[in-house]
Amino acid sequence: MSTRNEEAYAAVEEQSRYKWGFTSDIEQDFAPKGLSEETIAFISAKKNEPQWMLDWRLKAYRRWLEMESPDWAKLNVPPIDYQDAYYYAAPKAKPTLKSLDELDPEILATYQKLGIPIEEQKVLAGVEGSRKVAVDAVFDSVSVATTFREELKAAGVIFLSISEAIREYPELVKKWLGKVVPQHDNYFAALNSAVFSDGTFVYVPEGVRCPMELSTYFRINAANTGQFERTLIIADKGSYVSYLEGCTAPQRDENQLHAAVVELVALDDAEIKYSTVQNWYPGNAEGLGGIYNFVTKRALCQGRNSKVSWTQVETGSAITWKYPSCVLAGENSVGEFYSVAVTNNRQQADTGTKMIHLGKGSRSTIVSKGISAGHSNNTYRGLVRVGASAESVRNFTQCDSLLLGHDCGAHTVPYIEVKNPSAQIEHEATTSRISDDQLFYAMQRGLSQEDAVALIVNGFCREVLQQLPMEFAVEAQKLLGISLEGSVG
Amino acid sequence: MTLALPSTRQEAWRWSDLSALPTLAEQAPRGGVIDAHDFWIGDGPRLLFIDGHYDAGLSRPGPVEIGRTGDASDHPLARLAGGDGWVLTLGHDHAPSGTIEIVHVATGGASHLPARITLAEDAQASIVETFVGDGWANRFTRIALARSARLMRTVRLLQSSGFQSIREEAAIAEGASLVTILLGAGAAGTRIDAALSLDGEGAFAEFGGALLARGDQRHDANIVLRHAAPGGSSRQIWRAVADDSATDSIAARVEVARGAQQTDAEQSLKGLLLARTATINTKPELEIFADDVKCAHGCAIGELDKQALFYMQSRGIPPHPARALLTRSFVAGALERIGEEAVRDAVLADAEAWLGEAA
Repeated sequence: MSTRNEEAYAAVEEQSRYKWGFTSDIEQDFAPKGLSEETIAFISAKKNEPQWMLDWRLKAYRRWLEMESPDWAKLNVPPIDYQDAYYYAAPKAKPTLKSLDELDPEILATYQKLGIPIEEQKVLAGVEGSRKVAVDAVFDSVSVATTFREELKAAGVIFLSISEAIREYPELVKKWLGKVVPQHDNYFAALNSAVFSDGTFVYVPEGVRCPMELSTYFRINAANTGQFERTLIIADKGSYVSYLEGCTAPQRDENQLHAAVVELVALDDAEIKYSTVQNWYPGNAEGLGGIYNFVTKRALCQGRNSKVSWTQVETGSAITWKYPSCVLAGENSVGEFYSVAVTNNRQQADTGTKMIHLGKGSRSTIVSKGISAGHSNNTYRGLVRVGASAESVRNFTQCDSLLLGHDCGAHTVPYIEVKNPSAQIEHEATTSRISDDQLFYAMQRGLSQEDAVALIVNGFCREVLQQLPMEFAVEAQKLLGISLEGSVG
Repeated sequence: MTLALPSTRQEAWRWSDLSALPTLAEQAPRGGVIDAHDFWIGDGPRLLFIDGHYDAGLSRPGPVEIGRTGDASDHPLARLAGGDGWVLTLGHDHAPSGTIEIVHVATGGASHLPARITLAEDAQASIVETFVGDGWANRFTRIALARSARLMRTVRLLQSSGFQSIREEAAIAEGASLVTILLGAGAAGTRIDAALSLDGEGAFAEFGGALLARGDQRHDANIVLRHAAPGGSSRQIWRAVADDSATDSIAARVEVARGAQQTDAEQSLKGLLLARTATINTKPELEIFADDVKCAHGCAIGELDKQALFYMQSRGIPPHPARALLTRSFVAGALERIGEEAVRDAVLADAEAWLGEAA
């Protein structure tokens, strides 16, 4: 193996030392079960929010009450009881285990395959007495995070939890919050607007190239962002930022519903690169348990020559409902969407993107790779829309599906709406399986069947994986292999 | 019956505009003398329907009978088409002499007409339906093809105003083949609905055509083609041309059921926009539950190829004819699938007439 890869592994190892340091403080008090105006007032008060923020939340809540849960996706979502959940701090109610031996052996095996140190495994699994380790790690990373903060501050980059930003930069937040994803955009966005727990706020000032990849790992104060995360990233003129979200290790979480909202704004000549690796608990092989991941992610490419690139590797969650989109309003703005979605066992994923072309000369690229195995269903759903005044728009879409086994489903639902003749829109899709020839060739070279499948799947996803920052790419590759274990043969 | 129409909030109707229908449904046909002479292509069996009523005097129905079809559909438009209609039943290895031609003339108002086509094993038929006049022509056709039966359908939607809605539901048995090619020209709004099911092994279905729209005309197609058995193949080849502020919408879905291995399904949806204000919407959808299948869909929307235009002009062809030539070849891509020469020529001539008006 090349030294380059060794370095990558080292980087992963380095990172993993810090990234699990953030667990919520269990002593934190929490709001009573159920959703009401009181709960929202409680959350807002708990966070020392100004009155305008509370009003904003309440407005969203009232709108949410009048909305209906969307049912157009190819998903079978059991009814959700919104009153039977905690909306503040109670999350992370992981079952306490006496030792790692009590953990689901499948999860344990996965930890080992990902190479997670044993102490961290304990933290992840919520083993009794492991908090000390976590605290150590937190202390450790606080200093790390602070160093990064200094460096970011020197560059002028604001990188805070959204709660801090509401207090410290109210004007910026007020200006942009809900501009890209309005409160009433959809049912889950409205819910998130009412009860969002925490999230990230990033502002990159004019002309600044953010000196490092920003990642949720390196952030303090925002440990408990889990359930209703709210992210707002603003890239001012001529700036650049790369943001990483998520983690590769599977995590148990009793919060079934995760409804995040992510808003990105790119002004003139700015570029945002947003990478996600999502591996929430997918439920067991029979489809019991697992996270519902209902996320609204949208970018507004407002400025000339602005660019937003979404890259996602989705392997977890029982149900995924997620369409990272770009509104390409600026002249010559660029939107990109690279996605790998893997479903196994009883998982369901309905994911894709929307590219709304409004600006002249705007371009977009969509590369989606869907892999279904077991009894799962994997749907690509995408929209490419060209407005009447958007001259010389280009779009290229490629969606490939790979089916492993006889019991899974792969679906493609692309919508293409064009109102300007100068647009060039191309859409291609293929559906295939791993051929016996490919498998035989790899295996007669000495690979086990699982390694052979992992190799072929990684090849299938290469165009997307190479868009990820390097350390993420290495982890994601390992993850793909693990997610598909036992699906062939 | 009060008219309960689907709303655009329903997925299958998101690009539809049925706003003209309530008014048309209220109106009475004008009637009068109709000259359908120009619309006959060959000398085979022919049937003339005026506002949904069979005109025995001007028809020679051959094997086609008039009577109850006995079919019902829960489709929102097809369910309106009850009562008497035309029925074609062909026995084992039977084929009528020549192409069966049916001309539907509308003189305003609304007409609803069902039809049933049943072909026994190895039977063969070719049917051409032509819609002319104005008003709302609503048709529902139920098709059953037994083993190795072959049916070729051509539909010319040429009404000068009003609305044409057609719904086709077909069950295709082992080794049978159904080919339906449509041309949407004229100036009326259109809704084309189809649910085809390849129930037998090695069945074949093709459903496609050309949709030409100008003014504020809207063509709207919604096709569901289901592979329920192994080894089936299907083709959906569509070409859409939109001028002025017209809209063409095509939603074409291929479903591959669990166990329908070795399916070979192809979709090709292409759109050509001739004006700034025109719109083309497409949705080439795949729903696949089997792992050993070949499903490809391609979709492209744009304007005429500038390089091709330049090349033709460099060879001395003026811009206008060059554009016409390229548009013609674009449209012909879908219409050349019609097997019989006489029918193909007639349909190409219809398209030509439409394109000529654009000149």
